[in-house]
Amino acid sequence: MSTITGRNALVSGKTSRYEFVAGGMIAVSALLFALGVASLFEFVTLTDPIAGLPTVTVLGGLLVVIGGGVIGLGGASRLELIETTPDRSAGLVAAGVFGSLWFGIGSVVGTELLGIGGSGGLVPGLLLGGGAFAVTVLTREDISSTVPAGVLAIFAGAVFLAGVLGPGWSWSPGSFPSDNAVTFFPSVVVPGSVLLCSLLVGWASAKAYAGFGARGRHLGAHVLIYLNALAIIAVLFGLVGFVVSKGAPTAFTGFTIGLGVGPEVTALGVSFSLPVSWPFLMNGASVFVKIDGILPAVVGTVWLVIGAVLFAVPLAVGAAVFLAEYADEGRFTSVVEVATNGLWSTPSIVFGLFGASFLIPRFGGSKSLIAGMLTLGFMLLPLVLITSREAMLAVPDGYRDASAALGVSKWQTIRSVVLPAALPGIVTGVILGVGRIAGETAPILVTMAGGTLPAGSETIDVIGGFEFISTPPFVTNEALLEASSALPYQLYALITAGLGGPQFEDAPFSALDFAWANAFVLLTVVLSFYAIGIATRYYFRRKLNR
Amino acid sequence: MSESSTTDEKTETESTSIADPTPRQTAGTEPSTSGASTTSGESEEELHEEWTDYHFEGETHVSVENLDVHYGDDHAIKDVSMDIPSESVTALIGPSGCGKSTFLRCLNRMNDRIKAAEVDGSIEVDDVEIYQDGVDLVELRKHVGMVFQQPNPFPKSIRDNVSYGPRKHGDIRTGLIDRLLGRDESDAERELVETALKRAALYEEVEDRLDDNALGLSGGQQQRLCIARALATDPEILLMDEPASALDPIATSRIEDLIDDLSEEYTVVIVTHNMQQAARISDQTAVFLTGGRLVEYDDTEKIFEEPESQRVEDYISGKFG
Repeated sequence: MSTITGRNALVSGKTSRYEFVAGGMIAVSALLFALGVASLFEFVTLTDPIAGLPTVTVLGGLLVVIGGGVIGLGGASRLELIETTPDRSAGLVAAGVFGSLWFGIGSVVGTELLGIGGSGGLVPGLLLGGGAFAVTVLTREDISSTVPAGVLAIFAGAVFLAGVLGPGWSWSPGSFPSDNAVTFFPSVVVPGSVLLCSLLVGWASAKAYAGFGARGRHLGAHVLIYLNALAIIAVLFGLVGFVVSKGAPTAFTGFTIGLGVGPEVTALGVSFSLPVSWPFLMNGASVFVKIDGILPAVVGTVWLVIGAVLFAVPLAVGAAVFLAEYADEGRFTSVVEVATNGLWSTPSIVFGLFGASFLIPRFGGSKSLIAGMLTLGFMLLPLVLITSREAMLAVPDGYRDASAALGVSKWQTIRSVVLPAALPGIVTGVILGVGRIAGETAPILVTMAGGTLPAGSETIDVIGGFEFISTPPFVTNEALLEASSALPYQLYALITAGLGGPQFEDAPFSALDFAWANAFVLLTVVLSFYAIGIATRYYFRRKLNR
Repeated sequence: MSESSTTDEKTETESTSIADPTPRQTAGTEPSTSGASTTSGESEEELHEEWTDYHFEGETHVSVENLDVHYGDDHAIKDVSMDIPSESVTALIGPSGCGKSTFLRCLNRMNDRIKAAEVDGSIEVDDVEIYQDGVDLVELRKHVGMVFQQPNPFPKSIRDNVSYGPRKHGDIRTGLIDRLLGRDESDAERELVETALKRAALYEEVEDRLDDNALGLSGGQQQRLCIARALATDPEILLMDEPASALDPIATSRIEDLIDDLSEEYTVVIVTHNMQQAARISDQTAVFLTGGRLVEYDDTEKIFEEPESQRVEDYISGKFG
């Protein structure tokens, strides 16, 4: 269908008015999509006005505009006012999507607004859905992909503009049994319908922009994928931002930097005051400190991760070397593979119970740091094993051949060629594993956890706990055998203890604030383990490739 | 497991086609499978012993007697005997799947790394049988270096690549303990790296960046680095498995010049698919034809100008293979 004149217009780089409008429509859809995401996370509240108008009205107006606009684009193409290359139909997938959406709207309108009882309420739904399906299948692509989407946007916009979804609005479908009733509120319905409509209209206008046909489908898919990726990133940042905004103010209460403001520490026999004072991280929780903190839990989590990594990584990498380099591929390796995969998906509480019933009796009979370390180490083993094995198998055989041809023994080859080349992959496995175990609550609960809100004096001191004696085993560490807290466990304990009242007498924040700050610190600790891992991987990759 | 996976490795065109039991029709060439002794377009003829009976002046460096190699049921090399003269270039040519790479890998016992491979017969290097009990593979492979089809430098610095062999063999000590005890041999390492790179005609190009990663070099430079790496262990024999087939014409001609220079000091055995290359650089040529048989072995000029075997003449003139 593309003619010489069409191609000339493309080459000349002039943007026609049609393309300008379609591009603008894509931009407005993207803006609406962003607004929808923002209002879902309450960055934009529905009750506050935007530019003097109620937010719902603004959203409704925009929906009506893009709905009308996209229908106009489709109409212009159908009336052949502009040069496009539409197919004969938008296809079954689009028809299915439009049909089911319109069926849902029609059914809701039929049963709730018109009050048709029984299955008769579905009749409007069937009519609308069937109509949308037929329109999409039977009409040319320029009409079939724009009109159902545009009408849907106009309908949603009209509902918004009519003020139906005011702040007091809610809808409980009567057909649900009353004891587990479902209620929809505007805070969910409005962003949800905005997201849906903007996705559909964005897709349709992207198709229109590229003139429908194969190029249109290509661009339409691109817009959908980009908006989807935007939503995922928004969820991620929304989540982190939410925790930070809730927790950071409390976590930084009383944070000061200056010479000698911090607590006194002794290192290498010299006592000095730290230049930083961060009460929330440097205090325990007790009536004797002004600002309660979570030092014991932070230290517990750090030692827990260090212990688990020291225990699991050498074992797992050793096993991976055996599996990848020495064992013959066969029944044995596949059994090991199934077993490690199964172990990795084993629920963490099962590991916890194993630790509680197997490890604790062997380490003094009470919950202890070392039992927690080993339990989490067992959890870490399978993932590090799987990823290390994959990383070693991915090392080119050319390296092994070259090394063997130089007369270098197998073990030396593994040590000086295979392992360094596999290191980035191994580190990736450790990062993923640490990310999981650092936030584990259940195993800690049953193997390690101490009091709910430990005081600063209960902070575990693993380094100071080492004692050297002249009789076997020559070195003991009391600290490893003590119960300790950890950040995820402490958060859990705070929540179960109740978040209603104030923390302690004359504490500057409530129990809820304290819990949010705890969550913020947990998130920061886990993310910094990630950051360390990513930096390590980057370092080794650079060393290999440059 | 890495052992068994070497059977289907890409650098080993020979073993790939052998390990593959289904005959494939690729550009008129049918890789040898058990039973098939000719390829399409190839006529049948009787082999004559005198065709492979090559007499040369000078010393024999490698002597192969009645070599047979089996990969499981596959008879990859059938009763090959040939003597390789020292300080010369010997080319092994033949169609895909004729066993020339397998033959080459027997000379430094690289076939030991393939579990399915079974080698019978005798190979003597400097009059010492290398297929007997108690052969030190480390010494053998130091003595018989090898360069592969794909340039395969380690992801390390250029310097570390070259000094890898001697360091791992303990010939050069640069470890922490040695540094602490004052036995550090960094000077010796520097000298060795320089000598090896100069012999491989690479030194001038990389002089200033010996500590850069070897993967940053071009393909031709990487292959010369691999040659330098093989030379660093001070071998006397250098095996080359299609060393230029993955390189562009300019890099190829540099490698060819290098091989020419190396043949003054080393015994070079080179497998190639490229007959012009064999004609250009080799002193004598051995032609393997389908079925893992050595058909003719003589001076390169003789092979390319008046071969005894009709099949060799057909192969050289491009009628098959």
